[in-house]
Formats: sequence, C-alpha cells, structure tokens
Amino acid sequence: MNKCNIGTKICYDFVLGIKGTCLLTVFLLALFQAGVANNLQSSEKSYKVQLVANESSSDTQKKVTLKLDEVRLVSALEILADEVNVGLALQVNHIPDKKVTLNLDEVSVFKALDALLDGTGLEAALPSSRDVLIIRKNLKMQKMKQVESVSGTVTDAESGDTIPGVNITVKGTTTGTATDSDGQYSLTVPSLNDTLVFSFIGYEIQQVPINGRTTIDVGMTSEAIMGEDIVVVGYGTQQKSDLTGSVGTVDEDALQQRSSTNVSQALAGRVSGVDVSLNSGEPGGSPQIRIRGSSSVSNTNDPLYVVDGVMLNVERMQSGSHAINSIPPSSIESIEVLKDASATAIYGARGANGVVLITTKKGTREGPRVNYDASVSTGSVSKKIDVLNAEEFLRVEEIAYSNAEKYDPAGFAAGKYTNPVDKRTDPRLFDSSGNPLYDTDWQDEAFRQAITHRHNLSVSGGDQSTSYGIYLSYDDEEGVMKDSWLERYSGRFNVETEIAGWLSAGGSLTYSNQSQKELHPWSMRMLYESIAIVPVKYPDGTWAGNEDYPGMEGGPNQRRVSEESIHLLNTQNILANIHTNISFTDNLELRTMLGTNVITQEQDRYSGRTLPFLSRDQNGVASISPSQNANWQFENILNYSNDFSDVHSVNAILGQSIQTSHSSSSVAQAWGFLDDYFEYNNLGIADNPRPPNSSTSEYSMSSVFSRINYTYNDKYLFTVTGRVDGSSKFGSNNRYAFFPSAALGWRVSEEDFLQDHPVISNLKVRTSYGLTGNSEIANYQYEAGLGTYTAIFNGSRNVGVGVQRLANPDLKWEVNKQIDLGIELGLFDNRISVEADVYRRKSEDMLLERPLPRTSGYATVFENIGSMENRGIELALTTYNVQGEDFSWSTDFNISINENEVLKLHGGSDIETGGGVHGGGAGSIIREGLPVNTFMGYISLGTWNTDEAQEAAQYNRLPGDIKYKDVNNDGAINQDDRVPIGNGVPDGYGSLINTFSYKNFEFTADLQFMYGNDIMWEAVHSTEDRVGIANALGSVLNAWTPDNQDTPIAQLRPTQAGYDTDNDTHRMQDGSFIRGRNFTLSYNLPQDILNPWSIRNLRVYVTAQNLFTITEFRGYDPEISTSGAPFSRGRAQYFEYPKSRTFILGVNLGL
Amino acid sequence: MRKLTSYIILSSFIVLVVSGCDEFLSHSDPTSFTKNNYYTEPAHAEAAVNAIYEDLRAVRGGGFGGAPWLMTEFQTGLANTELGQATNSLDIRALDNSADNGYGQTYWNSHYRGIANANEALANIPNIEQLGEAQKNRLLGEARFLRAYYYYNLVRIFGDVPLILEPVGLDSENLAPERTPVADVYNAIVEDLTWVESNSGLPFNNESGRVTMGAVKTLLSSVYLTMAGYPLQGGDQYFQLARDKAKEVIDSQEYRLFDTYGEIKDVSLENTGEHIFMVQFDAEIVDHNGLQYVTLPYNQDISLFSAETGGIFAQEEFVESYESGDKRTEEKQFYYSEFSPVSDRNTTKNLGGWYLYKFFDYEANVETAVSGMNWPLFRYAEVLLIFAEAENEVNGGPTTEAYDAVNEIRERAEISDLSGLSQDEFREAVWEEKFHELSFENKTWFDMVRIRKAYDPVSGTFEDYVGHQFVYGPTLSERELLYPIPASEIRNNENLSQNEGY
Repeated sequence: MNKCNIGTKICYDFVLGIKGTCLLTVFLLALFQAGVANNLQSSEKSYKVQLVANESSSDTQKKVTLKLDEVRLVSALEILADEVNVGLALQVNHIPDKKVTLNLDEVSVFKALDALLDGTGLEAALPSSRDVLIIRKNLKMQKMKQVESVSGTVTDAESGDTIPGVNITVKGTTTGTATDSDGQYSLTVPSLNDTLVFSFIGYEIQQVPINGRTTIDVGMTSEAIMGEDIVVVGYGTQQKSDLTGSVGTVDEDALQQRSSTNVSQALAGRVSGVDVSLNSGEPGGSPQIRIRGSSSVSNTNDPLYVVDGVMLNVERMQSGSHAINSIPPSSIESIEVLKDASATAIYGARGANGVVLITTKKGTREGPRVNYDASVSTGSVSKKIDVLNAEEFLRVEEIAYSNAEKYDPAGFAAGKYTNPVDKRTDPRLFDSSGNPLYDTDWQDEAFRQAITHRHNLSVSGGDQSTSYGIYLSYDDEEGVMKDSWLERYSGRFNVETEIAGWLSAGGSLTYSNQSQKELHPWSMRMLYESIAIVPVKYPDGTWAGNEDYPGMEGGPNQRRVSEESIHLLNTQNILANIHTNISFTDNLELRTMLGTNVITQEQDRYSGRTLPFLSRDQNGVASISPSQNANWQFENILNYSNDFSDVHSVNAILGQSIQTSHSSSSVAQAWGFLDDYFEYNNLGIADNPRPPNSSTSEYSMSSVFSRINYTYNDKYLFTVTGRVDGSSKFGSNNRYAFFPSAALGWRVSEEDFLQDHPVISNLKVRTSYGLTGNSEIANYQYEAGLGTYTAIFNGSRNVGVGVQRLANPDLKWEVNKQIDLGIELGLFDNRISVEADVYRRKSEDMLLERPLPRTSGYATVFENIGSMENRGIELALTTYNVQGEDFSWSTDFNISINENEVLKLHGGSDIETGGGVHGGGAGSIIREGLPVNTFMGYISLGTWNTDEAQEAAQYNRLPGDIKYKDVNNDGAINQDDRVPIGNGVPDGYGSLINTFSYKNFEFTADLQFMYGNDIMWEAVHSTEDRVGIANALGSVLNAWTPDNQDTPIAQLRPTQAGYDTDNDTHRMQDGSFIRGRNFTLSYNLPQDILNPWSIRNLRVYVTAQNLFTITEFRGYDPEISTSGAPFSRGRAQYFEYPKSRTFILGVNLGL
Repeated sequence: MRKLTSYIILSSFIVLVVSGCDEFLSHSDPTSFTKNNYYTEPAHAEAAVNAIYEDLRAVRGGGFGGAPWLMTEFQTGLANTELGQATNSLDIRALDNSADNGYGQTYWNSHYRGIANANEALANIPNIEQLGEAQKNRLLGEARFLRAYYYYNLVRIFGDVPLILEPVGLDSENLAPERTPVADVYNAIVEDLTWVESNSGLPFNNESGRVTMGAVKTLLSSVYLTMAGYPLQGGDQYFQLARDKAKEVIDSQEYRLFDTYGEIKDVSLENTGEHIFMVQFDAEIVDHNGLQYVTLPYNQDISLFSAETGGIFAQEEFVESYESGDKRTEEKQFYYSEFSPVSDRNTTKNLGGWYLYKFFDYEANVETAVSGMNWPLFRYAEVLLIFAEAENEVNGGPTTEAYDAVNEIRERAEISDLSGLSQDEFREAVWEEKFHELSFENKTWFDMVRIRKAYDPVSGTFEDYVGHQFVYGPTLSERELLYPIPASEIRNNENLSQNEGY
C-alpha cells in the first residue's frame, strides 16, 4: 500500500477542494486507484522500463539456459535479463503481445536474444558500459546500389567501452546497419563522399562525413533520451512526421539565440501565424499574442498557455501583464504553438485562440551537470522625437498671439489675450531682456543608458531511476527611461522518479517574484509637453515646471512625475504540479496530474502632495491594490498505444480534467497626507480615506476528452479528437458542449513512387477540420447581478443596490470552426524544407457583449450573436544554403497573412470600442464587413486656403483652419462625417533569419517585418493641434501661414481662440516596418581547450537587438499600443514608452 | 487481473462523467446580489430606492471634454466656451449638433438607468412583507418622484420617448420599445407625482437631501406650467394647476429666498432655505470638482485646481442685458471677470470674460482643491416665478400676489419693483426675470421651448424661437426644438425613429 501513497495523497488533496456528488465520484476514483495499485503490486509485474539495481556485477558473458513454455515475450525478456543480471529497457508498445516457447541450453546472451526476437522486427543491444539490455525496433534495411565499404568500431566516448547495437545509416538514405556485440560494424555505401549517421538510444546522434576514408571509429557521447523530432502536443508527444495538425515549435537552441525577459519576446517571429506585438519598451511591458488573428469580439483573444500540463490563469492581471511573462525563458526547453483545430480541439472550450505549450527543462539521468548563463546588456533609445526648443517655443507662442484677433475677435477686444512677450519677466527663467535662461532637452533628461543583468544557474542530475533539476534565475532590468526597472528572482525544482517498474512519479515547483516600477502615463506625456524654457530644478533645488510660466497647462515636469509618482507592481507566481504514471499493461498507462497556479499581485502607488494634475488637488494620493488568482486542476489521462501486424499503429488517450479558478482583489485608497514620507505604507495616516473596494469571483470546469491517432503503414495518418466541457460560467441550460475534430495526413514521400526521388525527400499533406470553443467571459453573466450605487444623504454615504447585469440564462459557448490544409515539403535531402498552411476560421455564436437599448437601464448583455472570420496563409521556409565542413549557412523565412472580417452582429448595428476620443465619438468600431476594430475618423483634406474663404465660412471656419471632408455633403462637419479610415492589425508579418557558422563561430541575423498596420497617433492632440500651453512637436513650425498654405497643420493661435482636434487621416499613419531585431555572434570554445578544465561547453556571444527600424511612423516605434485593452492595437492615446536598442554580452557555461 | 483493473479505472471515469458534477459547476456571485435573492428585507427596499438617486449626478461633472449639463446651455445662444477640444459643446453652440453627441447620450443613458432602478423598486418593494406601511409609502413616493423627474427631462429634451414603467428583461417586449407620444409621457409623470402627493406621506421639508413634499409640489407646478405651454399647449387649466401647486409651496412657509447670492452656493446652507431639491455631492464621498474645472477660466492660474478648462462662461451680451445696477451682475455675484492669480492673491487679473461665480466654490479654489458643492435642481426663486407667470395667465393680468412674487426676487437684486404692466408686459417681464435669475442652472432652454421664444440679449426682447439668430451668428430652426435621439440608441433599437432634421 505504501506504493500508493503519492496517488492517495493526490486524491485526498483533491477531495478537499470539491463538494457534493463530485466528491463521492472522485473519492471512488481514488479508492479504485489505490486498489489498482495494490493489485498491480501483488500480481504480475509491469514492464515499461525496468532497471534493476546491480548489487553484484552483471554477467553478460555467462551462458544461459532458458526453458519457456507459452511465456509472454516481455516476460521472457525479463527472465533473460534477470538471468544475466542486467536491466531491461524497452518500449512496451513495440513488443508484440505474443507468447514464446523455447528450449535453449547453455547459449550466449545474444544467441538467446536472437531466438526470442526472431520475427518480431525487434533487435537487442547490450552496451557493456551500461548494464542495460535494450530492446527496440529494428531499422528497415534496404538494398541499394552500393559500391564502397566502410567499417569501424563504436565506443562510449567517456568509458571507451565498445557499444553494440548502434545504428549506422547513410545520411539521406535508409541504407544502414548496426554494430555487433563487439561494437564493430561494416557497411557498404553508395560513395565515399557520403555522411554516416550514428545513433543509439541514450547517446547524441553523430554525423560523420566519410571523406574518402574506409575506416571510421566513433566515440559516442551520452545524452538524455529525447529524439529530435518529438513534438509536444496536447496531453502527449508525437513524432513530427506523424502530426496531422498544424504545430509550430521553438526549441532550446532558438530560445538561446535571443536574450529575452519573457516568453512573448522569445516567441516573437519564430512561428508563422503567431503575431507577437511588443507594444512597449517598458520593463515588464505587456505584449499581446494573437494566433491566426482575433477570434472574438468581446472576449480575450489571448491563447491558452499550458506549462508542463498546467493551464495558466487566463485572466489578465494587474497592469495588463499575463502569468506567462513571469516565467523566465531560460528555464524553457521548448515552446509549441498549436494552431489548427486538430491540434487545439483536445483543449476544447479553451482552444479557440490557439494553445501555447511550454515544456520546461528537466533533470538528466546523469550528472550532476551545472549550467551557468549570464549576460549584461546596455540599452538606449534609438530615436528622438523632434520637439520645440526654447527659442522655437517662444517664437510659436508669439506667432499664435499674433493670430488671436483673427480667430477670436471678441475675446481679443475684451482683453483676454496678452502679448506673451510681456509675461517673460520671471527672473528664474528669463534674463532682463526677456531671453530664456534654459533650453532643456527633456528627452536627454529622461533617457539613460540602461544596464540589464541576467543570471541563470542550473544543476541537474540523477541516476537511472531518478532525475532532478534545480534552476535559479535573476534578472535586473533597467528601463531606458529613468525610474523604471524590473527585478525578478525565480527558482524551480523538479524531480522524476521510478518508484517501481509500473509506477513513476514526479513533480515540479516554480516560484518567481517580480518587482517592477512603472512610469505614470504622464511621464511619457510630459516628455514632449515639458517646455524647454524651464529647467528640471532651479539652482536652489526646487522643482521647476510648466506652471512656472504663466498660461501653461501646468503638468508636472517629466523628471518630477517620474520620481514623485510611484507605481510599483509586485507579482509572485507559483506554478506547481505533481504527477504519477501507472502502467497497467504494456500498452496502457494512466497519468494523473494535480497542478496549481497561484498568482498574487500587489500594486502600490503614491503620488506626491504637490504634483499638479495628479495629486495636488487631493494633497497626495496613495493606494494599495492586492489581488490573488488561484487555480488548480486535476487530470487523469489513460494512454493506450499499440502496433498491429507491422502496419497498424494506434495511439489513443482518454482523459478527464476538472479545474477551479478563484480570484479576489481589493483596493484601498486614501487622500490627504501630512507628509510625502509615508508614501503607500501607511494609509491610515491620511485624513481622507476613500471608500474601499473588493471583489471575488470563481469558476469551475469539468471536462472529458479523447484522441485517437491511427497510422497505417507509416503513410496514412488519422486523428480524431473530442472533448466535452462543462463550465460554471453558463446557466444550467447550456452548461456542457462537445468539441470534435478530425484530421488526415498522407506522407506521400513514403509511397513507392517517391522512394529515392532525386528531388523530393519529404512530402506530407494534411488537412483538418474541427470545433473549438471560447468561454473566456466574465463569470456569472447568466444570472441577474445587482450593482452597488452610492447615494448621499445628510452628507454621508448611503449604499444603493440596483440594476447592473441583465440575466441571460441561455448563454452558451462560442464556437470556432476551423479548416486547415497544410503541406510539408522537403527537397534535396531536406536542404530545402517548406511548411505551408491555409486556413479559414469562423467564430459562430460569438459571445458578444451586445449593446442594449439603454431604455432598458442596461448597457450591454452577453449573447451568442454574431460571427467573424479569419482567413490566412502561413509559410515557413528553411534552407541549408551551404553545408561545408567549416562553413554553413542556413535561412529561415516565415510569413503570415491574415484577413479578418466581422460577418454578423446583433441587428447589424455597430459596436463602439476603444473609448472616446477628444473630438467626441468612438475611437474605433466593430462593424459588419470590416475587420474587427476599425479606426473611425475624419478625412483630412489639409487646411483651408485663402481662396477657399467663402467655402470655409459655410463651415464656420477660416483660411488656416483644418479642412475636413464633408462626407455627407450636408454643409456641416460633425460626427456624421466620421468614417472608417484604418486598422491597427497588420495585413502580414514575418521574419527572415539567417544563420552562418564558421568553425566554432556562429552568426545569426534576425529581421522582422510587418505591413499594413495603421497607427492612430492620438498623441498629436496635445502636441500638434494646440500650441502655447505646453511644448509641441517640431512639426508645428510647418503650420499654415498665408505663404505656406499646403500643409495639414492649422495656423497657430492661442487655444482659447478655438481649434479643431479630432482623429483623422492626418493622425493615422502607416505603421509598416522592417526591423533589425536580433544580431548575434557567438563562439563555442573548442572541446580540446575545455576538456582539461572539465568544462562541457563554453559559449560567448555578443548581440545587438533592435539595431534598426525602417518605418515612416513619426513616433518612437511602430509596434505600439498605449493600453492593454483587447483591441487597443495601434492606438496611441498618449505617448508610448520607447523601445531600446540593446547590446548584449553573454556567456553560456556548462560543467 | 490487469484487465479487471483497467475496467475499474475506465468505469470510474464514466461515473465521473455521468455524475456531471453539477454542483461543482454551480457558483453564485459572492460580490453582488442577484434578483433571485434580493428584495426580501426592509433594508433592501431602502437600498433599492437609494440607487435611483445616483443618476441625478450623471449629467453633472466636467473636465477637458466639457460636461453633459452644458448641452442645454449652449443651445440658448447665451453661453460661450474657450475649451477648444470639447466638440460636443462646440457643435451644439454652432447649432451643428448631431446624434453622436456624447452629452445627449449621457442624458439618455443615465436617465433611463434611473428609471430602470425606479421600476425595479416600484415592482418589488410592495412584495417585501416585513416593510411597514409608512416606510413603504415613503419609499414608493421617492421612487415615483425620481422616475417622474427623469421622464420630465427626457420628454422635454427628446420629445416622444419610450415610456417604460415596468422592469425590463431579455424577453420583455419593452427591450426594444417604440416611442410614446409626448402627451402620454406627461400623463404618466402627472400620475406618478399626484400619487406621491396624496399617498407618500413625505415630509414637506427636511435637510437630508431626500425627496420632500415641497420638491414634489414644485416639480408638479413646473410640469403643469410646461403642459400649459408647448408642445401640449394645455392652456389655462394647466396654468391654474401650476399656480395652485406653486402657491402651496409658497404658503407652506417652509422655504425662503436667501438674503445674499453668496448663500445660494454656501455649502453649509445646502438643502435649507431657498433650496427645495438638490443633487447631493460631498467632498469626502463624491466630489464635484468637475463643476469647478469646467467653469474656471482656461489656464489662467487663478485656482488651486490643476484643471481650469473654460468649458462655459457667459456670453458678454447676456451679462450686459441685465438692468443697470442689478446686484446679480456686480463683480463676484452671479459672474466674475477678474480674480487673483494663485501666485499672488493680493493682486487681481482681468480674465477677459464673464465666468460663472454662481458655481464658484471659493474655499475649494483658494484653499482645499476639493469641492463637494451640490447642484440646485429647484430653488424657491423658481417657485415664485412660476407662480407669478401662472397667476398672470389665470387672472388675465398681474395680481398683487403676482407682483409680490416677482418683486421679491428683484428686491434681492436691488432693482426697482415692477408695477403697472399689462398682462403681456408682465408675462415677458417674468420670463426675463427668470432667464436672469436662473441663468446657467439648466432652466433657460426648457423655458425657451416651452414658450417658443428666445431672448435677444441686445434688444432685451423676446423673439420667436424658430428663426432667432444668436448674437454670434447661428440661427435656431425648428430642428432645435428637440435634441437628437442618440445615434447608438437608434442603432440598437430598430423600433426608434430619429427626430426631424437630425
């Protein structure tokens, strides 16, 4: 019974978390498991991989005698292994379920094995260094025209012992052999220019060019048991060649090429169809990931993230960050992106936006091994924006004044305007003749050379039954704007162990603690609006500011708001799982997993007592906002795999999953501090505590799922997937839904007619169709929630309770239907490989927060109305252009083109999104027939010319005013003239990555491109449309004058005299760009230098990130969004935090 | 044996699936009541009615985008702005208004939410068994008053509006209602208010800020006065009713004119004296800084508030249209044109325009930078003027009582009493008095459409509304008798039609 301790513990913990009927069922399940384990222990043994501890040394030279009568093959093999006292390693699903009858007397081990494995297609290997008998599938041998002969011996590089059973193939062919019991081989090859590939379980694959030799001896290096082409898919792994779905992979090597802070950065540009938008250069900035476009109008379009089987919280956290971004990329072994329905359907209701599977690094079965990676980098802004200097600012003010009478004759007559020259008397700012004393460049003041350190240390090791890994990382990142930074510590531990042959268990625990200091949005705004004539501080040490110069809109100066408005965000992320594997038979195993993800955050803010606009009116504002997101999941997955008659191969899973997610948050705020000393640390000392806020919410899901992969003759691949999900987010009418998918694949290159084809080395076509769901709406939408109101009587607060949410008991899942057609093509021994997909994804019964007639008292209700479509093409091309002994060059290119169209909305009416704009109306809309979230605005025709005075007068405008197009020709410019003018989502995007290697040097050049994305740069509202109350962009020097009429910028005038400011085609800019994203030169120190120091590998590298960006966009960076809202892409309401150009020096050391 | 164990595991899966875990998937919102578990306790009834009050505040406020309450001011031709980015204000002021105007949308949305809360309260409170009769009637009275108030604004601003008197659900016919003729809406308003008058048992006056009988009768007299005029033109019968209700308020002696204009905006005198009903704010709970932001001159650095937006100030001609010597146009009574800058309170600077001192919270601007100033919905001065106007109509000319009422207001303004006027002369004199006394309190435009006349500040006369040219150019047309139904509302409700001309 003690063997079941882990299992029962899981069950027990789990039972505590749930209630009612469910409890009973799960408890029964737990009991059954305990019983099963008992049964297993007391009856036959299981054989998946059994390693016998060798107390006495093995005796493989011993002659064995076997008498077997109708004994199952696996049992027979075990008996043999026992006999010679070695371990046994085999894959159960490869061992035919047949019985053997044998009578052998005093024969060698190998003879006995030959007899046992005769006719099974299996072969055996017994490396002398390992004391393990390995049974695995025999290689298919094929006769070819063979002209030359090569022979040699294969040994273990460490021990020098010979290795029997090593596979040797001629590269690009299926010609091959295996070493004999003495580790020797002999092989006829087509020519002596070929390359031999040596492979063996547990060792790294080696490629050795023959180079005319006839004798080649090889030393093999041990490696973890992991094939190159294994791809992680939902609830399992698959051979890449057996995949029927569209799955993109980023492996460890690719991850190592870039030094990145978070997973989103690491993923950017690596996989076609995955659009990573790094919206901000701020440390901890929140990138958005879209897989094959946006699937939904109202929901989050974030993909589902699954880390080692544990689903992360989907809710966006405070400050728009996502749980995934607190996991250090250095701890990741691979990232898989599931894109089409065949791949994602196994995640059912959560797969609609694609799934990102993260596999973290695991321990090894050898070791201990130590890895240390470190880098230091320096970043600086790559661009400055042209703003007015002191002289220009004062000149603009004077020009504006000279036009005051033209635009406001009455106000001018009443004396509202004074000559700005007359107010330049403050001795702090002007000399006696009115000339400015300062000419501050606020960008120079705000930016810095930002230094970033990263350190990762890992220790991994293990023996043949247990492996472990310990990973520590530390990141200290400075922002390129002063006062912004991020610091993160994280630690992870994992262990896997085989308790018995039939039972293995493991678990991992990850903890990360991230602190970041964010800048208040005004820091960015005042970067442009702080006027050059004031200094940061006066000589006496007091802050200067715009308000020191009369008539200014008085925001605090950039440095001051950065220092005195404190925004701290602390995030702790705990990710843990424990799991067990039980093998019932050779073909059937059960994996049980309990996982949890707990995120706690706290946002601490304080804004000083004297900061104008932010907190001066309130005499200091402090707030603390803690929140917690906790979810756990419990899963049981049965896996069955078997091969029949050499041609049928089946892999099937049946699984069950339940999960619950709980979140809570609160905000405490206070105004009125007697001193700035307390910051956010003592809210109680404030004289004006604000009403507190808090909320909690919870949801649960229960699911059953199954997938069957069937392969016929390694040529025809079939996958069928189905998942039933139940969610508490929906009323009892529609709690459950079924999400099926099916896929077909044909490995054309396995057909006879393509065997040995001179050009085509690999060809696979695949297609899939399936349904996935989306349920990421707020909780409780199906019931009629009442809201909290505030009434004031007798000067005190009286709570009100009234309408808030309209009940919709019929609410159900949103369904995505996706069809995908893919082709994988390899040419010339796969020196050119292409993977292309076309897809069409239609979201139906879209969960739409449909606007209601407000006469109901409600603004919106969630309904299943509306549909949207994404159509796209993805292409990934990899070529090995040069493959010499010393020099090689390869190219990766990918491009993704996606088209989005809203097909149907409730009653066909538009939905306004993105908040209002200064001119009134919505910033963007969702409208049938247009891509989701299209920018709305006027069509700017420039400015009214002098000879158009009469026409301008009709619109109450003068020559020099902005000229908008009167779209409906009604003689007035108003909201009715606003039309769809653009969209922030790109038409296409991709990467071009070239890798060159020469001897131990490697150089990677990584270019990113994007086109067709518009940017609504609303930031110009305050820096171009109006002048004289804050600093402005240099472009206002190109304003309208009688001599300069062909300009989009209105004649300068004091703002009180009236001006137009609206979203229009002048504000909207083309955000297309080409970026030099990453250039890395690395050097691997040669092994002969390292060996004496017992260093396994040492790599040093230098990297330049974001080296250049070619774009027409006028702001800092065309990848832009100033809010974390789902549809904020390309909309910059204020100014964005600039991205930095970064140079990195790094080292990877392995011991 | 292994087969057996497999079966056990498999069957346990099936049990798990079949049992469905319905309880596991049932969660109720712990942070809010639902309609299923609310309206059971007397305290629930109180809170349900409290909720209706909140939307009185919705159209107030202010900032760099202006404020919804400016909507009716800019269509009088008597207001000006220097807030260049407040397109909603500028469009209305230029009579270029469109259905996308955010101010109109706020009026519509907030008022109908208030009505929805009133409908919930009225439908559910009678079913709360433990609620005492007196408390129940008081609460129902407050709810009905507020519903009537919201409809009274809506029907005057938008004309025919959907009349919804029951809670709305996803399957209600009223989810996408049609417009109800103006007359029916008025009838519903009168029905609500007369019910409150006879059944609610509300106190005539109190200082809590809750609805009082004084407020009910004042609103009723205002409603009747409007029903006498456009668009219903109910005539003398309604003048009589308006007069009677105003008289009841006057005779109650519960209210009085303040002695000075400063007292009208004195925070310590809120809900007393001249104030019959106010929108409640409180510096500590819900401040009303927006009112300061939007009425302060644009960036002239006279206030501690960071935001000075110049959102609204008086058209100069209007201030000049007061009689000479009128106390109200003296510096820092109703208006101000100079003030000391923050940097030196011992000096004054010319502001270059007439800003609204009526709403100037001195302490907030000079000392605290937080304003909790209430917004007056009904002042006693309005009751006197309603009485004077209706009395003149009912009696074929001004009576002594009518003169007394209007002269009480003039005396406070330190201008001479009216006397010896014909019915027509007296009528116009009362209108003029009302425009001057209640300026920028969201009264003037409603009176303009009620009487279909516009005040020309230069000539000091009343002209026909349609065809009246503002001093700064634009001319009122038939279209401006109503505001457009918000475009979003028409988009979301196919049963709605737009007002003529929009």
